[in-house]
Parts: sequence; C-alpha cells; structure tokens
Amino acid sequence: MGEHEIKPVRVVVLGGGTAGWMSAAGIAALLPGLATVDLVESEDIGIVGVGEATLPHIRGYVERLGIDEAAFMKATHATYKLGIDFRDFGSIGTSYIHPFGSFGESVAGLGFHHYWLELARQGLAGPIGDYSLAVAAAQANRFTPPLHDSSLASTYGYAYQFDATLFGPFMRDHGVKLGVTRHEGLVTAVERDVENGNVTALLLSDGRRLDGDLFIDCSGFRSLLLGQELEEDWEDWSQWLPCDRAAVMPCSHKKGMPLKPYTTASAMPAGWRWEIPLQHRMGNGYVFSSRFLDEDAACAEIEANACGEPLADPRILRFRTGRRRRSWSHNVIGVGLSSGFLEPLESTSIYLAQMAITYLIELFPTDGGIDARDRDEFNRLVDMEYDRVRDFLILHYHATTRDDSEFWNHVRTMKVPDSLAAKMDLWRRTGRVEKYADGLFYDASWIAVYLGQGWVPETHDSRAAIPPPEQIKRALDRLREAITQQVLAMPDHRQFLESEAARLAEAA
Amino acid sequence: MTEPREALRRIVIAGAGQLGVLAAIALKRALPSAEVVVLGIPIDPGALADRAATALPFTNRLHDRLGIDELALVAKAGASHRLITRYVGWGGPGQQAAVPYSTGTEPAMASRFAREWGGGRQGASMVASPTSPAQALAEAGRFAVIPPGEAGPLAEIDYALRWNPQAYRDLLIAIAQQLGVSYLPGNLLGVEPDGHGGIASVSLTGTEPIAADLFVDCSGPSAALLSTLPDFETLDWSNNLPVRKLILSRPGRPLVALEDRVTLLPEGWRYELAGRDGLQVTLGIAPGAAEEVALRALGAPPLIAFDLEPGRCIDPWIGNVLALGDASARFEPVAALNLDLAHRQLDLLIEMLPGRRIEPLERIEYNRRASLMMDAVRDTLALHYIAPAAAVQFGPIALSDDVERLRDQYERRGRTIFREEAPFSNSVMTNLLIALGFCPGVPPQEKTQNTQAAVSALNAKVQSALAFAPQYTSWLEGVLANLARA
Repeated sequence: MGEHEIKPVRVVVLGGGTAGWMSAAGIAALLPGLATVDLVESEDIGIVGVGEATLPHIRGYVERLGIDEAAFMKATHATYKLGIDFRDFGSIGTSYIHPFGSFGESVAGLGFHHYWLELARQGLAGPIGDYSLAVAAAQANRFTPPLHDSSLASTYGYAYQFDATLFGPFMRDHGVKLGVTRHEGLVTAVERDVENGNVTALLLSDGRRLDGDLFIDCSGFRSLLLGQELEEDWEDWSQWLPCDRAAVMPCSHKKGMPLKPYTTASAMPAGWRWEIPLQHRMGNGYVFSSRFLDEDAACAEIEANACGEPLADPRILRFRTGRRRRSWSHNVIGVGLSSGFLEPLESTSIYLAQMAITYLIELFPTDGGIDARDRDEFNRLVDMEYDRVRDFLILHYHATTRDDSEFWNHVRTMKVPDSLAAKMDLWRRTGRVEKYADGLFYDASWIAVYLGQGWVPETHDSRAAIPPPEQIKRALDRLREAITQQVLAMPDHRQFLESEAARLAEAA
Repeated sequence: MTEPREALRRIVIAGAGQLGVLAAIALKRALPSAEVVVLGIPIDPGALADRAATALPFTNRLHDRLGIDELALVAKAGASHRLITRYVGWGGPGQQAAVPYSTGTEPAMASRFAREWGGGRQGASMVASPTSPAQALAEAGRFAVIPPGEAGPLAEIDYALRWNPQAYRDLLIAIAQQLGVSYLPGNLLGVEPDGHGGIASVSLTGTEPIAADLFVDCSGPSAALLSTLPDFETLDWSNNLPVRKLILSRPGRPLVALEDRVTLLPEGWRYELAGRDGLQVTLGIAPGAAEEVALRALGAPPLIAFDLEPGRCIDPWIGNVLALGDASARFEPVAALNLDLAHRQLDLLIEMLPGRRIEPLERIEYNRRASLMMDAVRDTLALHYIAPAAAVQFGPIALSDDVERLRDQYERRGRTIFREEAPFSNSVMTNLLIALGFCPGVPPQEKTQNTQAAVSALNAKVQSALAFAPQYTSWLEGVLANLARA
C-alpha cells in the first residue's frame, strides 16, 4: 500500500497488420497495469503483410512476450532461417550467403578475413562461406538450434520465415488474450486538441469514438495520423534505393525439393526477386523500380521465374523508401510503414517495427504527459536504426560491376551517402570495417556483402602474411573440416521441423 | 587482387613509462619482424597513466592477450585485487555505496533496489539495498582468482588489479627485452618533419637521428612528439572538469583490502588506493579550497602536487604519430580511468595497426573511435561533479548533451543509455550512478519478476560465494609461497 494510484495511459493503435498487433500485444504484455490498449482495424482494408522473412531479433520479442516458439512456428507455418542467399548481385553468375553468423575467428586480435584474404590471394582458400557454420548448414539444407557456449556450435543464430498474413492474426489472438480491445471499423475523422495539437480521439464510421492519450499509427503507407493528420515531413531516400514496387505471387512447393533454411534474393534487371520457403508454400516476389520496369512486365517476370506452381495471380504492392523526419510527433508514434520504409532486401521491416516498440516501451510516458526529452530520445534511436540499415542496403546495389541494364547502371554509378562512401573507401583501401556496437549489421555482415559481391579490398593487414601460408591453410582446413562434421551431424531442415511438430503435438 | 600491406619496419615509442613499455610489448608481439625502439626521454611527473598504480578489468584481458601473467604481477609487482570501489558521501552526508565490476543482478533490478531500499539522497536513513556478491566478498575479505574457464560461484566476479608501478614497469621491461625491444635513453633534442604532416626522425642527446615508420607518443601531458606537428590541436575540458590541482601522498601502511574508496570532502575528493606496498591517497582539490586545508584533508604526508589542465587532442593520430595516455588526454584519476583509457587506445591501435604507408582513412577511423573513448571518459568524470552532494564544492560545470541526457533519463526513468566506446558497461554505469547518489526514476516496465525473488537469488549467490571463497590474505600468502617454491 501507500503507492499512488497509477492512472493507465490510454493507448489507441490504428491498424491491425503486423506492426499494429505487434505493438498492441507488446504494450499489453510488457506494461501491464500502465496502459489500456484499444486497436482499431478494418477488414475492408487489406494488410501489406510485409516481412515474410525476419532477423534473429524477432526471437527476443517472441520470448519476451512469453510465446512458445513451437506453437508460434506452427501457427505461422514458419521455417528456420540461417541467412540470405544473394545471387547475381556483384555480377551475373556469382552468389554468396549473408549468414546469421561469423566467419572463422580472430587470431591474435586480427580479424579472420585478413588471413582468408592472404590465403585466397595465394589460391589456397575456399570461398569464405566454407568457414562459416551458418553458411555450410544452409547450403546443406540442415538445421539445429545453436548452443549457448563458446564452441563452434554457438557461432550462428537463426530467424524465421513465416506467413506474414498469419503472423498478424497470431499476435491478435495473443494480444486479445492479454487484454487488448479490438474494434472493427473505419476511421473517418481525427480529433485534435486545439491548444497543443495532440490527437485526442479517433472517430469511426459507425459513430463510435476512441479517446486516447497516446496513438500508435500502424496504418501502413497511408500514415493516417503521422503523415496525413500531423503532416510530419517525409525524407525521401529513393535516389539511393530506387525500388518502389513489388510483384508478389505465392506458389506451391515443388515436389521433392528440399526445404531451404534460408531466403534467396536473386538480382533481376530492374531490382531483385525473393524466394521464401514456408512450411506450406513458397513466397515469391519481384522488388523493382517503376522507373525502369512497368508493373505488367514485372508480373510477367515473376510468373516466368517464380519457384513452384502459382497459387494466385501476381499482385502489385507500391511503396516508397524513406522515413518521416520524426517517428514520434505530438502524442503519435509511427510504428512500421507509417513511419518509414526500407525495402525488404535484408528482411529489416519487422526488425524496425520491433525496435520502435522496444524503444517506446522503454520511454513510455507514465506520469501524466509526454516529456519532449523522451520523444527526442525515441526519435534519436529510431533514426540511428534507419541510418544503419539504409547504408547497408545501398551497399548491395552499389558494390557491383553489373552494367547489363539501366537499373544496374544507375545504382552502380549513383552518388551514395557520405557515411557509406567513407565506409566503402576504408574497406577498399585497408580491408577494415567501420565499427559500431549499437544498431544493426556488424562486421561479419559487411564482410559477407563486400566479399560476396567481389568487392575485394586492395590491401589487407600485413600481419596476415606473417605466419607461413601452410600454417594458415592447415588452420583453415581444420576449421572447414570441423564445420563439415558439425553440419553432417545436423538433421535435415524439414526433418527437424517435423520432429519439432511431433514433439509439440505430444506435449499438447 | 588484394595484397598484404607492407609491414611497419621500425616503430619508435617515445616515453619509457609503464605505458610506453607495454605499448612496445604489444607492438612487438603484433609485428615480431619490426624493430621496436623505446626512447627513454624524461616523462612529466604529471603523466597519470604512467603513475597509475591501478587500472580496470579491461587491462587484465589485455595482459592476458600479451602473455603477461597475472600471478607474475602478484609475485613480482606487488599486485592485489579490487572487487569494489566504495563511494562515500557523494549523495549526501552518511551516504555510501559500492561499485562492483560484476553485480550479480540486472541493471534495472539494481536501480530498483536502490530506489526501494536506499541509495540516493535519502540513503542514509534507509535500510541498505541488497548486497552484490562482489561487495559481500570485499566486506568479508574473501576472494580467490579462479583459473579461466572454471565454473563456480567466483567465476562471475570481475576485478581490477593494483600494483607497484615501479615494479610493474621493471617486469614489463624484462618482457620487452626478451622480445627484442630496444631502448635508447636520452633527452629529446628535436624532430625532423617528413613533409607529409608527420615525423621523419627524432634526435636524442648522444645518438644519430632515429627514423621510423610510426611514432607512438607516450611522453605524458607534454605530448613531446605529437605537439610538434603543425596539425596538432587540443580541446580544452576545463569547463567540463573542475579540478585543477592534485596532491598525492607518500605510501602509508600496507593494506591488503578488496576495496578502494573515494570520499567526497568539503575540500574536494579523496581517493584511497589500498595495496601491499601501502595505502596511497590522492586528493583532487575543489576550486576555491585552500591548499593547506587540502593538505590536512589528504590525511597523509604529501609526496607530490601538480597542476592539471584537463583536455584532449582533437586528433590523437596525426601523420605517422599517434599519442597514447596523457599525451592524448589529461584528466583526474578519480575513477581509475587513466591507464584504462590508455590501454583501450593501445588495443585499438593494435586492432587497426597500419602498414608502412598509413592510409588517411584508417587514421580518421582510429581518431573517430579514440575520440568517442575520450569523450565518454570526460562524461563519466563529469557525472562525479554533478552528483547531488558534489555540486556544492565543485560548482557548475558545462555538460555535454550525452551527460544531460543520461542524467535526465536516469533520474526520471531509471534508464541508462548505451554509448559506443564507453569505459563502463550499462551495468557498471548503473552502479556508479547509484553510488554517486543519483536517485533512479521508475522505469515504466518494472521487471515482471518480483523484487523478493531477485533478492533471494542475489542472496543465494552471495552465500555460495562467501562459502566458497577463502580468506583473501591466506589465498594471497598461499600463492606467494607457491611462487617462491617454483
């Protein structure tokens, strides 16, 4: 006793897609008693359902919300994901896997890739992926969860590939159980406080009104509150990331094909094409730039190239790359597409929504009003996340020798942001990666893309040439052999999924 | 195709203090083919990284990688272990709290304990918050170093070392000699520019000019090499850090303790460093405090006093000259960060070791990260002077946006902020904030586990650590006896 009465913050979430239900369930689960959550969605408005492929961070979200992994995977028809196989990006005919894991180990404080570069120069090394357990397991279509020790079996992580149209509903069921109130309806008007401009209520088409203290805009690209109502400026990044459409087409699995524990991204003349294996079907899509390809042609391309038998006609998603200058303005927080969009090349959409929710929970207003300092802090963190991802995505397009289409000529020759140009120059001249510990994509990821796209540095560290080459070769051979053995001991990806499903059924 | 860079052939290190010699060891180990020369030019007595008789846990890991055996430091350099630093009076009269390097609980829970059981301004009149295993061990005088990789209740306890700087330096010199590092004593007569913003050669009394590919300036606050370069520029921290004068005591009685102590006094702060060679006291004098009064506050016979001009180089690496330690940043030893920063910079140099032809871009990247390190140190120190009780004697100081944000977020929300290249993890930073008397605000998301469960878990850790650990003094005697027999 003696604690003052806490008046819960009335949170209203607008939009019932992935971002909407992730936000609603997250707040309900992690701020019990501090917030009431109402969510308004309409069956008349389709959801984009982006993010069939995810990053390992999603596991943290699932775990924090106390969701059983196996049940979650069953409900969303999920498969495991060890990385992304990029094909034809650096040049036609080349490919590499960007793994959720590392390549080798540092020796005497010097990064593994310097030794690898030295050995590769002498023609004594295999592809760098040979020295990554995640890559080797992916290529063998095998999977087992990593260990939490310091052994080789701990050198990778994993994420999920799931049916994004099922993820939202799964989170909805979870959210409703946690006490989120769902409202079916269309928002027809927004009420604002005349003095401070804050949103005070959403009015629905049937005359209901939803009053709130805090509004989370998950209305997708419409950005109904943050963009339309508050007119928060949009920072356009399409000069660097020109893709603005996706032609999407689900397909059946081809009979007898292995179930890949990774996503495939194949470069195309005006963008790239994804193949995401789910338990029950394949996700296919062609992300392209409408400046270089029209929608009909893109649909024809996806029909011609898709993996598996079509389950529906291709449909077109339209988007634009960039972000709102502020994701949190007044008492409105944009989560997901309403606050910004970066194309799905590295499966970052759900990650960015998740980080916004995490930061919002950390900075949640509990003592009456919103403090401008918390809002600034939220926007600082969200900006940092977007900037890091943006530069990394641009790298995939810019580090190329492709000159076979107008699109690739454009991205190859465009001027990139200074922050990226500096990173690329440092790599090119010295084989070093600019380091940071906050945000997304660390050394191993940058090295995977640089080397995978043939962006071999001009020099590497002099220390890599100190040991006799045979000695480095023996060490690398031993590592490759250990990886091969470890992979052979892993179950097949599909088998592992089936055994997990059987275990779940037994437990139930 | 990629080529290995041509390796540095000769590296000259200016300054043969404990920092310069360790830098020589690290560089020689990284590049055995290079000639590494240490110039024994006189070092300013105010070179705090060279005077430091202690560092932080990072240094233990650096030693480990460089093959410097901790037990050898115990045997030959008077090394002893510190588990906690006790801050006394920073939150107000009677308030005190320990800063361990490992807490046994999450930062959010530590803040919650502080809020609910004391710490902060009300601390004195409240029940002390639950104790971390490190603090319980320090208070019971129990500890033993566990061999790496071994499990058990002491495995999670991180610690810092103290030593006798002279003996430590001698031990390093012996290792450096074994590795083939050469040494040239003398006074610096002059430097010959290389025409590209760096140095071609340096001249000492009694020697030919000494050319090198890379010069590492470990000469102390004067930055004897770096400061000769046309692009040398400094950043003044005197608005951020108020202490201008330091007094160091002569060593007192030997004191084998697992804790050190930093006390806030009307005259400034007093840092008491225990050690097998004797307790050493350092006093940082508050602006306006009279020196005679301050001398009394020292509580021990003074050894030396010197002036402090806090600041840093804007670029610690210019041309082919790179400054470490006091040559790159000067600040007070209130948090044992002087040698810690120098060692982290040295580690960064080893990570980014250039080739014979230095790339401007790698210099830029080094300077970026080294600057983040230095500014994070400045801001960690600044927190001391805005602690609730300290602001009175130290007066207002200029705060960086990062400090303002951290203080605000911590006091309103109990939230610490991740910072690139910071000296402390969020967990240690949380403990420091509590010890300095900042009152943590309530984070919106209190841990779902209840406090009682966390307290029980912590108490269980404390009990098993206490039951397992021998008396530190007996353990130390045993180690010394074993070493003597060997």
